[in-house]
Amino acid sequence: MTSELIVREELYTDYVKVTLIGEIDIYTAQTLKDKLYGIVESNRMDLRIDCSGLNYIDSTGLGIFVGVLKKTRLYEKNIYMDKLKDNIRKLFVITGLDKLFIIE
Amino acid sequence: MSDFSDNIRLVLPFKAEYVSIARLTASGVANRVGFDIETIEDIKVAVAEVCNKLVNEGYRSEGNYIITFNILPGKVVISFNSSDEAVKLVFNNEEDELGISIINAFMDDVKLYPGTGCILTMTKAIDEGAFADGK
Repeated sequence: MTSELIVREELYTDYVKVTLIGEIDIYTAQTLKDKLYGIVESNRMDLRIDCSGLNYIDSTGLGIFVGVLKKTRLYEKNIYMDKLKDNIRKLFVITGLDKLFIIE
Repeated sequence: MSDFSDNIRLVLPFKAEYVSIARLTASGVANRVGFDIETIEDIKVAVAEVCNKLVNEGYRSEGNYIITFNILPGKVVISFNSSDEAVKLVFNNEEDELGISIINAFMDDVKLYPGTGCILTMTKAIDEGAFADGK
């Protein structure tokens, strides 16, 4: 009974779409970190993260998003969080991270 | 009614791959107590936040930590225990801020016991007002 996370990457002209499916927890967080850092480093574009298939996140995952955001800001780019489920949006709000990310 | 109290106990190694089991158990217990779906989700995240911290502190250890769900009428008290030396102090670093802020936002009463066998207890009660309002 371990959690699973699928990370899909699609390259568009001025942004990279990342689709997250599954759960981001302490077990899957390292995969997410490696993939997102790699995507930012190799493309240096805005990230649009489709969260419609994301069912769970906790502070481990939120911490990774903050780290990735710092990196994208170095290249003067942004992170857009799309289609957040209510339980996940709530976590962004209570931690104040809704003010850092562009939530759509 | 007040004498009704059941305990469910989960013993877990300090390993990331088992935190999902704590989450599932927390959901099951919260559902049993009668919380609504949103609150079940909150309790699940709060439990996972404590587990994350314990795993981060104790990952070098061969030991275990114990989660006890004390089920009371309309209420659950969740305590985390470990006799392992590695996890005496929790939530004392700046990087724990996100985790502890989530726990405090989602649970009614959170108590830390640094340096003892019992590490933390947190309580969540069913919001009777919400029922009265028909929510």
